[in-house]
Order: sequence, then C-alpha cells, then structure tokens
Amino acid sequence: MAMTTAIPTGEPKTTAPESQLSIVLRRFRKHRLAMFCIGLLGVMLLLSAFAPLIAPFPRDQLNLKANYLTPFSTDVAGKLHVFGTDHLGRDYATRLLFASRVSLGTAVFSTLISSIIGIVLGLLAGFFGGWIDTIISRTLEIVATFPTLSLLLIVVSIFVGNEKNIPFPSFVTSTISFLFAVSEREAKLVLMVNLILAFFGWTTTCRLMRGMVLSVRENVYIDSARALGASNLRLLARHVFPNSLPPMIVDFTLAVNGTLVAESALSFLGFGITDPTPTWGNMLGYAQSYMFQYPWMPLIPSLPILLASVAINYIGDGLRDALDPRQKI
Amino acid sequence: MAAFLVRRLLQMLLVTIVAAICSYTLLYISPGGPIDTLLAERQNSGANRVSQDDIQRVIERFELDLYMPVRFSRWLLGWPKAPIFGSLGSDWVVGCTTPGKVRLRYPDGRVEIVEEGCENTVTLAELEGRKVSNGVIFGDFGESQVMLRGRPVTDLIGSRLPYTLYLMGASIVLALLIGVPIGVYSAVKQYSRFDYTMTTITFIGSSLPSFVFGIFAILIFSVLAKQAGLPYLPSGDAVGVRNYVIPLLGEIQAGSFFDRFLRVLMPCGVLTFINLAGWSRFVRSSMLEVLSQDYVRTARAKGVSERMVILKHALRNSLIPFVTLLAGVLASLFGGALIIETVFNWPGLGRLYIDALGRNDYNVANALLLINVVLLLVGILITDILYTVVDPRIRLG
Repeated sequence: MAMTTAIPTGEPKTTAPESQLSIVLRRFRKHRLAMFCIGLLGVMLLLSAFAPLIAPFPRDQLNLKANYLTPFSTDVAGKLHVFGTDHLGRDYATRLLFASRVSLGTAVFSTLISSIIGIVLGLLAGFFGGWIDTIISRTLEIVATFPTLSLLLIVVSIFVGNEKNIPFPSFVTSTISFLFAVSEREAKLVLMVNLILAFFGWTTTCRLMRGMVLSVRENVYIDSARALGASNLRLLARHVFPNSLPPMIVDFTLAVNGTLVAESALSFLGFGITDPTPTWGNMLGYAQSYMFQYPWMPLIPSLPILLASVAINYIGDGLRDALDPRQKI
Repeated sequence: MAAFLVRRLLQMLLVTIVAAICSYTLLYISPGGPIDTLLAERQNSGANRVSQDDIQRVIERFELDLYMPVRFSRWLLGWPKAPIFGSLGSDWVVGCTTPGKVRLRYPDGRVEIVEEGCENTVTLAELEGRKVSNGVIFGDFGESQVMLRGRPVTDLIGSRLPYTLYLMGASIVLALLIGVPIGVYSAVKQYSRFDYTMTTITFIGSSLPSFVFGIFAILIFSVLAKQAGLPYLPSGDAVGVRNYVIPLLGEIQAGSFFDRFLRVLMPCGVLTFINLAGWSRFVRSSMLEVLSQDYVRTARAKGVSERMVILKHALRNSLIPFVTLLAGVLASLFGGALIIETVFNWPGLGRLYIDALGRNDYNVANALLLINVVLLLVGILITDILYTVVDPRIRLG
C-alpha cells in the first residue's frame, strides 16, 4: 500500500503545453526586422486613423498665392507648412495624412473583402468538390489567363466616373465616408475602386485556400469527426477552416501589399481615385508634372508608398518563417 | 501530343472569344460612351455646339444604331456585311436609328414620355455599303476612332511596336544575363555577405511598385544630376525633338544614335532591375533546392569538380521551373510595360493602351487587350511544350 502513495496522482505537474499562437508569436518576435516593420506600420496606421484630428489645415483649403512652397516654409499668414504646399497651395502634410487614410484603408478594406470571397469560395471548392469545384476552378483558370492590369484598367476606366449612376445605399456610403475620412460624394468613387480591386484580388487566395482544404480534408481527424456525427457545416467551421488558415495569414499580408500597389498605380495613372480625394498614388501622379521645378514634390508621397510596401513584405516574410515549423530561427 | 495540341488550341480559341466578348461588352455598356465624350469635348473646347448631324455621324461611326449582338458579330467576324445569300433576310431588322416614343397619360394627370419600340429601323439591306472591319478574329482590328481617326488600328500598333520590342527585348535580355548568375552565385554562397546583400536588394526590388522606381530614377539621374551640373539623362520620350547640351558629353543631336541610346538607358535600367529582382530570387530558391538533392551529392562524391557540379548538374536542373516565366515574358515583350512606359513617356504599346482607354478609343484598346490575351495563351502553350523538352519525365496528356 505504501507503493501506491508514492505514485504521483493523475494531476499533471508540468505547466500547460504552449499554445500554437504563443509559439508563433514567440518565433515572430525573434524576427527583429519584422518587429521593427510592425512598429513602423503601426505608426502609419495611427497617423492615418487620427488624420482629421492632427492635420494642421483643412484638407482642401486652396491658397493660390502660396502654391509650390518648399517644405518647412511659412506662408504669408505666417503659418508653417511642414511638407510645403502643392500646385494649388494646399498643405502637403495635411493631404499626405488624409491620403494615408485612403491608401492604407483601401489596401486593408478591399483585401478583407477579396480574402473573404477567396476563402469562402476556396473552402466550398475544396471541401465539396464535384460541380462546385469545377465551376470555381474553371473560372479561376480563365481569370488567370487574363492580363490583370490591362483588364483592371478597362474596368476602372468604365466604372469610375459613372459611379454617380450606381445607387449605393446611403448607409454604405456614410460608413465608407467615415472609414476613409472623405465626403459622402467622394465615398462612391472610393467604394467603387475598392470593390473593383476586391473583385480582381480573390483568385490567388481562392486557389491557395482550395489547395489547403484539399490536403486538410484527407486528415484522419476529419474522418473521426464525421464518424462522430459532425455535420458538413460543423466540419467546415470547426476543423477544416481553422486548420487551413495559417498560410492565409501570410497570403493576406502579401495581398494587402498587392492592393496598396495596385491602388497607387491606378491612381498614379489617373484611373483610380482622383483629386480632390488624396491618395499617395494620385499625389505622386500630380507631382510628376512638377518634378523638374520642385523635386521634393514627388519625393514626399513616394516615401510612404515605399516604406509601407517594404514593411508589409517584411512582416509577411517574418510571419511565413514563424508559421513554418520546419524553419529554424 | 497531337490530341493535346488540338484540345489546347480549342481551349485557347474559347478563352479568346470569352475575352473578346468581355472587353467588347464592358467598353460598350459604359454609360460615358462616345456621344458623351463628344459632348464633353465640345463643351470643354468651347467650339460650336453639337448639332444633330454630329451626333448622327458619331452614331454611324460607332454603329450605335445597331443591336448589340449584330454590332459584336460585325466587329468580331466582319459578318453580316449585307443580306445573306443575295436577298435572304434583306428586310430583317438589325438596328434602330430613332427609338419610338410613347406618351403615357396617368390618371392623376401626369404625362410621361417613355422610349419604347422603334420608329426608324435599320434592315440588313441598309448595311450594304457601310464601312466594316473584316473581323477581329481574322486580324482586322478596324479603324482607330479617336487617336488617329480613320486610320487602321494596325497602323497605330505597327508604329508603336518597334519601340516596345526594342525596350522590352533589351531589358529582358539584360535581366536574364545579370539575374541568373546572381541567383546562382547567391545560392552557391548561401548566407555569405554577397547573398545577404543581394537578398535584401532583390527583396526591395520585387516588393516595390515600378512607378516609384521610375520616379526615383528620373529624380536622381535627370532632375538632381541636371541641377548639380553633372551629366544627366533625358527623362522621357524615345527620340529628342531638339538638340541639347549635356555637361562633359557636349551637344547631342536630336534623333542621333547617341540621343536614342541616352533616352533608352533609364526605362531599360528600371525594367531590367525589376525583372532581375524577381528572376534572381526565383533562380536562387530553385538552385538551393537542387543543390540539396542526392544526385548533386553523388556527383560531388564521384569527384566531379565543383564548377562542373554547379554548371552541369545543378544549374541545368534548376532552370526547369524557370521555363514557367516564359509565358509572361512573351506577352510583356509585345505588350510592353504599361506603367514604366507611361512614367518615361515611351511611345510603346503599353502607353498606347493607357492613352486609348483615357481617350475612349475602343477599337485600339480592344485590339491591344486581345493581342495581349492571345500572346499570354500562346506563351502558356509554349511553356507547357517546353516543359516536356527540358524535363522528359513530364508528358502532355
């Protein structure tokens, strides 16, 4: 009987096993550059979130007597323009702040929409197979053979400019105007560009998700769950979806960068969001015509594009390393 | 193989027609169509008001009076040009010049005029004598509607094609010549200082938007260099209009070989860098994978020299996945670089596409889009065939 007391009881003495999330976080934190980039992006997001509060001037205040002011110069009224003024005498720093709201907002918002579409369609195609998969996969194949930028340009050139004819419900436009800090009239254009970008962005996510689901579906735990009587919906929501999600996180960060670049490129070419709504891309586009006289003008909006783009990519890289158990950091 | 080719060619035809339908309908359902453009143009220029005749001319030029399927089929196939088989269907209605107006009188006294039915119809017989393309499918893209009014689209494309070929060809060759060795060397010397530097540079290069690169290049090599009194590069166009003086190099004759050379340097350099960044990353990762294979170890164990191991055993196998890039290369060789050509004002096909879209020249835009789609499809087909050549284990089925 003495022996039995010596045997430890059923209570485990060790601490609870480390959760998957905390392992990933711990591995991610070792990636110094990615952590730095998170900080950088965080500052940019904060600045854009509080843009209307911290902006020193009204966004569209014209002052034709004080246009093309160089950075850190003061106008006639003695007010300091940190980044100078543009061709219409609008404060460049103010417009840059509002532009970051629109550019970063578009990048996140439209990627969210496209990711949701892609993930749902990928889940359906991979899990159910059959004719659902056939339709979705064939569509993907056809879309993949189209030159994306050319098609995007056509669609944007058609729909942008006619967005006034499309009856968006007012609660949608008011939400958009709140999210992007633009007026209700500009909200339609911003929403239109967001929707078009989302419409073109879902294919990569969908293909990736379908592949993941196809491999996850074959696992034994799916069979056991099914044997226990789990419904298709429960299988999808509790087992297939969470287990195929990790690669989607990396895909999402890279897609955010893709959307950011796509929106900037469109606006730069004059096809996307146009003046008076500022975005980094269209500020750069307008600045290009004046760059010979005022070289600082293109420099100021292109720096945030550069920083945001590289930062997001490094974060994606760090996440990929952190999520991949085979990688040693 | 034959069965594969036939199936793929049929598929390609299907995708091309789908693309044609998409682009055609997209362009023609746009509410800001040709008439709106005409009105806006006249209003902005302050010229004489638009008369009914002007509108009628535009309607005729764009065939807006024909029904959509008829218009599309005339554009795609060049058919129907006239009544079929002599007289059959000569009185079939294919369009409507003036829509009929119906007056609706409501019980509460309101009167509304609604467009309904058709007053003046167009019949097949009336199509005879109208100008029409021989069908896009057969290589006749019709006439340019705005940019070079009345000239065939192929003229416009032909005049821009050499510039695109010359810019894209040079940058693709350069990127291959520089990018592949960089990728190979980075992989062989993994985690060396060279590898780290190149990984960082190519990472930034492949994640940055190309127009930012273009703007930076112009800022540094033309604007700032010019202001500092250093030799600078001209910032745009393929050929100069008037002579200019560059410090240290003296006066440059506009249109001379040297002028053209200076002007292609920047766009070509930027494009090369962008391609190089992506390709060398690609080569590096596939080379790393091959270097860890058993047959490479076997070759080393047999005493094959390191040089031969890398060049003969590893490199050749690591280039197999590289073939997949060819599909995109072919399309971009002829399609041009939309953004870089615009930034550097390069008169190539990419810029032509952007201009055509901006100025509502639908025939030009449609033609370019279709050419691009076809080239992409041909590129994919060539890639698939090349795969079987470089890797005999793969069979087409």
